[in-house]
Amino acid sequence: MGKYSIGEFEEVVLLTVAILYENAYGISIKEEIENRLKRKVSVGAMRTALNRLEKKGFLNSEFGEATAVRGGKRKRFFKVTPLGKDALDKVMETRKQLWDAIPSIAFDFKFA
Amino acid sequence: MTGSVKISPPKLPLKFLKWFCNPDMVEDVEGDISELFSKRSKQNKLKAKLFFTLDVLLLFRPGMIREFEPINKLINFAMIKNYLKITLRNALRYKGFTVLNLLGLIVGIASSMLILLWVNDEVKMDKFHEQGDNIYQLFRNVHQGNGMISTNRAIPKPAADLMVEEYPEVNDLALLSWEMEVLMEIGDNATKEEGRIANQDFLNMFSFEVLLGDKNTALTEMNGVVITNTLAEKLFGTDWRDSVIGQNIRIDGEYDLIVSAVIEEPGSNSSLKFQWLGPAELFISANDWVNNWGNGSFGVYFTVDSEEDAKTVGERIKNVILDNTKDNDMAGHETLFVQKFADYYLYGNFDNGVISGGRIDYVRIMLVVAILILVVASVNFMNLATARSGRRSKEIGIRKVMGAQRSAISGQFFLEAILYSFISVLFSVIIVLLVLPYFNMLVGKTLILDFSLLQTWYFLLGVSLTVGLLSGSYPALLLPTFNIILSLKGAVKQSRTSTFFRKGLVVFQFGISTLLIIGTVVIHKQLSYVMNKDLGLEKDNLVLVRMDGDLGARSETYKNEVLNIPEVIAATAASGNPISYGRSTSSATWEGKGEAEHEINILLADNDFITAMGMEMVQGRAFQQGFADSTNFIINEVAADIMGFDEPIGKDLSFWGIDGKIVGVVKNFHMRDMYEPIAPLIITSFPIRGGYPVALFRVKGDMNNALVEIERITKEMNPVFDFEYEFMDQAYAESYQNEKTVSIQANIFSGIAILISCLGLLGLSTYTAEQRSREIGVRKVHGASVNQILVLLTKDYSILMLIAFVVAIPFGYYFTQQWLNDFEFRTTLDPSVFIIAGILTFLVGVLTVSAKSYHAATVNPTDSLKDE
Repeated sequence: MGKYSIGEFEEVVLLTVAILYENAYGISIKEEIENRLKRKVSVGAMRTALNRLEKKGFLNSEFGEATAVRGGKRKRFFKVTPLGKDALDKVMETRKQLWDAIPSIAFDFKFA
Repeated sequence: MTGSVKISPPKLPLKFLKWFCNPDMVEDVEGDISELFSKRSKQNKLKAKLFFTLDVLLLFRPGMIREFEPINKLINFAMIKNYLKITLRNALRYKGFTVLNLLGLIVGIASSMLILLWVNDEVKMDKFHEQGDNIYQLFRNVHQGNGMISTNRAIPKPAADLMVEEYPEVNDLALLSWEMEVLMEIGDNATKEEGRIANQDFLNMFSFEVLLGDKNTALTEMNGVVITNTLAEKLFGTDWRDSVIGQNIRIDGEYDLIVSAVIEEPGSNSSLKFQWLGPAELFISANDWVNNWGNGSFGVYFTVDSEEDAKTVGERIKNVILDNTKDNDMAGHETLFVQKFADYYLYGNFDNGVISGGRIDYVRIMLVVAILILVVASVNFMNLATARSGRRSKEIGIRKVMGAQRSAISGQFFLEAILYSFISVLFSVIIVLLVLPYFNMLVGKTLILDFSLLQTWYFLLGVSLTVGLLSGSYPALLLPTFNIILSLKGAVKQSRTSTFFRKGLVVFQFGISTLLIIGTVVIHKQLSYVMNKDLGLEKDNLVLVRMDGDLGARSETYKNEVLNIPEVIAATAASGNPISYGRSTSSATWEGKGEAEHEINILLADNDFITAMGMEMVQGRAFQQGFADSTNFIINEVAADIMGFDEPIGKDLSFWGIDGKIVGVVKNFHMRDMYEPIAPLIITSFPIRGGYPVALFRVKGDMNNALVEIERITKEMNPVFDFEYEFMDQAYAESYQNEKTVSIQANIFSGIAILISCLGLLGLSTYTAEQRSREIGVRKVHGASVNQILVLLTKDYSILMLIAFVVAIPFGYYFTQQWLNDFEFRTTLDPSVFIIAGILTFLVGVLTVSAKSYHAATVNPTDSLKDE
């Protein structure tokens, strides 16, 4: 996979950032994943995934507004980079290739 | 922002986050979790705080932690290595001190570990039931006429029925009888086993593991019986698993029951013991008396959902017996109350209807002893470390010159202390493992140091750190304050405060040792008081034999047979062991009895009882052979007092529907242990249904021979049953086993405390002798004798020990008097107790000091002066 190396959770996070588009910051990403996939996400796990994705160049980020509920701290909004888009494409493509390569009889469990 | 109170996230986790988090990320991460917090806190503030802390802890992971300056790490590591090296060098250079230090710590830690194991075991008793927090137990307060209240666990069954029917708070309700011994027969195989009657809810409520059979129906049938795995193996052999269910067992030759389940035998962590459980239904149908409001029968346990519910039940149940026995003039004044079942083991003593402690007292005492010993051991370490600080003063000076801060130096001494304590813990563990079998024998438990439990590791770590920090605290605070120039010159003079403090510590150590020894002496004194107390009957050379089966009904013949043995000089039969007796009634009436209720003990015995037991008559006469005495009664002095007779002889008295007259008053004898007052008693020779259960034989001469003969006769007359007997004096002594164990433990551990204190004293006096070696030399040159120098060196410490003694007396008096107050019959605290304890401590201390001082005083002065 070379430069597009990406883990399962990272993939989920990256896709969610893409879904949220302009509004992708820590809590919204966390809640989106929790709502859609029904799995618990800790702030720590999510933040390290975001961090890794940014280091790999799949995401970039900028600070937004500070609000009172956040104790006067700014939000960091994330955006998918073109490289990130390529990575997602690549993942889907490889998956599709693999799917296509499965002989039709392999999933025919009737006589198994 | 609104005017409402804004809650902010917990500060400590936030601080932690700010400290470790990568500065690039800290702002938005902090914002994120604050936002989460404010959302969550709308629902539940406490939960929000908890989750916030959890979030922070989960954030503490490699990707998030900032990089710490690597150069810092290097220095820390190098310094720690250096500290360890210096510690080791110092330890090896002054081997004597190191050994003293370690020995004190090891002995201290090992003994407190043993004690804490025991405490842990006591505290864990009955705590293994899954529903334990919700299981409650009923207790019955019987109000006596004399204003006393006696408390017991036998509850009238109608009260339990009422709870099941009318109390919505009560979920399950278990009935459990007292322990009864029955004869179990399978074919020719017969054995006597202790067990209890229980209902089905008992199995549902308590977490006794059912090994075979259906837990949910095991006691629902009238003819089902549950037995333990131990009993199953005894009755059916090692392969009991294959065949036991459905087997027929004949109980007391009367009932045929079928094994419905096999249950794990209650272990040492359960206060409820039994080998079998019989169905309550059967017992109830066979014993109509249990349906009477006036008769206490089963122990009643029930589960509720919450503590409030238990309180509600307690309030509702309080007066039900009174309410339901209003019409019955004979009924006593009885109230019920509720206590958590798991607490009963530790809080099992009741004083006038109110919980007044119990085993918890011993648990507390031992816990305090464990802590005191640890503290004494730590104090040793402190004393030795500071006393010898002069030796380290140059090192401290150099370190300071090289730029070490105070905090670094105190860190070093903390590290040293913790290292010592870790090593001591290691040795202590080995010692504990070696000693544990003997300790178990002593306390009658099966304690183990279980390394598979995380708890054990926490404990060991905790002890190491606590002792380390405690013992390192004073040196770590004192040593870094040394002045650089003075310490480099090697001329650090210990400040007055530090000398004073050290003397204070010695006083403290010896005070504690004296306190423990006072405790030991008092326990010992009370025990010997109890053992030598005149019980009002002669317990020596008295054999009690259980008359099983129908032997009791043939007691006259049996007695006559046994009396043919030349060594047996007297024989009698009675309804129970007279020094451990508890059969009572509240239905007794007598001439001129008022409204007040009285619970009076009834002892049934044959005509020879009073003389055979060696009891003394105060008034009237004892029962005599040949008199028609079956409706004549003898009462004890307490009963005579309660009944208010000036002249009791000839007065009418009736109970259980038997009307008779008082013919004599027997001198009070102890029917219960020394914790309880002597209860009122009526002795009657009215024939007992089913015969007397015990026979008592007075022996003169060769006891062994007599016993062999008694056994032969018993076996001849009663071949089915085992011959069971006990010596009354031995049984009496054994009933104070608990106190005896405490006494032995107190002996051992106060010995250890004084040993540790002496180790410290030995170190200190060695140090003083060294410091003053030149002074001693000069004095000797001027003609001082060895004795004079001995006195000189010993004087200081003797004064300290005297102060310790004076300080320990009031504490010792207070605590031991508290303990003695539990006993109704107790020894007195006289000055001799304190004098013995004081002299003992003083002697040991002075001997220790003078052993070292003698050595110093006999050194040839040329050796100590030639350096000058």
